[in-house]
Amino acid sequence: MATLEEKIEETRRLGLQVVKETEEDRLMTLSIGPQHPGSGHFRFTVKVDGDYIVYCDPDPGYVHRGEEKMCEYRNVIQNIPHLERPVIHDSTNVTYSYSLAVEDLMGIQVPRRGQFIRAIASEMNRQVYTLYWLAIYGIFLGHSTMFMWPAGDRELFIDLLERLTGARVTHAYNIPGGVRNDMPEGFKQRCLDHINYFEKRLKEYEDIFYNMPLFRQRTEGVAVLSKEDAVKLGVTGSVLRASGVPYDIRKVEPYDVYNEIDFKVQYMKTGDSFARSYVPFLDMKESCHIMRQLLDKMPQSGEVRTKLQPNPKGPAGEAYRRVESGRGALGYHIVSDGTPKPYRVKISVGSFRNMLALPFLLVGNKLADMPAVYWSLNYWPVEADR
Amino acid sequence: MSTASGFIKAIESGSKHLVIRRFTFRYPEQKLRFVGDGYQFDPKKGVGIAGYRGRHILMHDKCTGCQLCAIACEGIAEAIGMVKVDENWKQNKKSIMPQIDYGKCVFCGLCVDACPFYALFMTNDYELSSFTKEHLIYTPQQLEVKPKYDGSIELIITDRGATHG
Repeated sequence: MATLEEKIEETRRLGLQVVKETEEDRLMTLSIGPQHPGSGHFRFTVKVDGDYIVYCDPDPGYVHRGEEKMCEYRNVIQNIPHLERPVIHDSTNVTYSYSLAVEDLMGIQVPRRGQFIRAIASEMNRQVYTLYWLAIYGIFLGHSTMFMWPAGDRELFIDLLERLTGARVTHAYNIPGGVRNDMPEGFKQRCLDHINYFEKRLKEYEDIFYNMPLFRQRTEGVAVLSKEDAVKLGVTGSVLRASGVPYDIRKVEPYDVYNEIDFKVQYMKTGDSFARSYVPFLDMKESCHIMRQLLDKMPQSGEVRTKLQPNPKGPAGEAYRRVESGRGALGYHIVSDGTPKPYRVKISVGSFRNMLALPFLLVGNKLADMPAVYWSLNYWPVEADR
Repeated sequence: MSTASGFIKAIESGSKHLVIRRFTFRYPEQKLRFVGDGYQFDPKKGVGIAGYRGRHILMHDKCTGCQLCAIACEGIAEAIGMVKVDENWKQNKKSIMPQIDYGKCVFCGLCVDACPFYALFMTNDYELSSFTKEHLIYTPQQLEVKPKYDGSIELIITDRGATHG
């Protein structure tokens, strides 16, 4: 087993093509993407020696939209709809992090009921994202039932979010100062019904997918990322937790009401593809538990939003806040010069950091294992390119 | 878990669904029911009223032609433009009202949040597709019409599973 440093050296050597001519003839270069290797426009080239991958070169940037630059030309409210576009399945978490940073910058206090509603919407959106991710992971491995079931059960939470926010995917719901509207009538009971049903479904997922011998054989022991390597590469979210590091932003940097919630950080120690696919599943289970507590502890009535000026502006300064999104830590660094428009916005996303682990995980594995490794990294190209 | 029992459990879990009612529904014949008449905003309290964010509705008797909705849309979608109308309202001296291009609109509803006169709300109408780009531009007269929407299907959770009915 080569160490990370040796692997880096090896990939560098092959990338610069300082291999002997005869050796180069042995290797075949394959381009995967950029049309759609499963999740968005992203290309990576692999060099294969027979069936084994010896070199991998990720090539992101096909869906770069200039989100950070666009932020500089719009005021803080106008930024919300375009910021959630790169990852529409997780749009509430994106705007959550952004709103927290803006509130820090402007010194806005969110009403307590607003904080709870935000957290509930964020948990639901994480479920929506994880179910979508799981559906694609299933179809990547040729398990079409596992595509249909999560894609269908996603509707449970989409239905709830539609009632709450008014849109099915791009919610534009979190806003600096709170949330845009209060819960509709009877929403709490409906939430509890859906969560109860969803927990029953999660048991069925375990039977048909995670305990299925075929799935386990394809993922167990494949592309192991050790704890030390995971920390060195700086991966985040479920990939980091699968390697045995119990790191969750909701626990280490509790935002809004998460310090009042009792939950465990789910992690595994093996660090293989199976662990990386199982940790988000454990997170979904824990998320149901969190949502119940949030619904229980939420104040029955009260304000949900602090009224802002039409063109809000705060003092010059900077703020950095992050939340735990479906793909790991998602942070916004906003620099303001005192005008309504941000001077500079930097988005730190989990997808990009997880993608950095791809070359080191693929090397030494069979080409047929590529989908199981690639999608287990919880990578979303559009978010990584921003 | 042994290999055989793993397969048996998977097959058992899947085959249960042969007798459960299907989750999907037949869309153009059946439609989802929405709660309420759409997203609205109360400028006095500064907070919205939950509802679906579909096509807008414009109250001609309340619109003052202040352009705040168009200003809010600048930098988001630039879908709102102010046009002249042949109507004389006391509150609308310039006789201008918003016209919305649904080829550009992202349905974020921030124009509704910007309206201080209870003139612009959103409705449950989401079936806006057309064969030409020009038909996606809704004039103030078209925006005044209340949509006819009669969805009756809802997501129901019973002891035997979830279904639309």
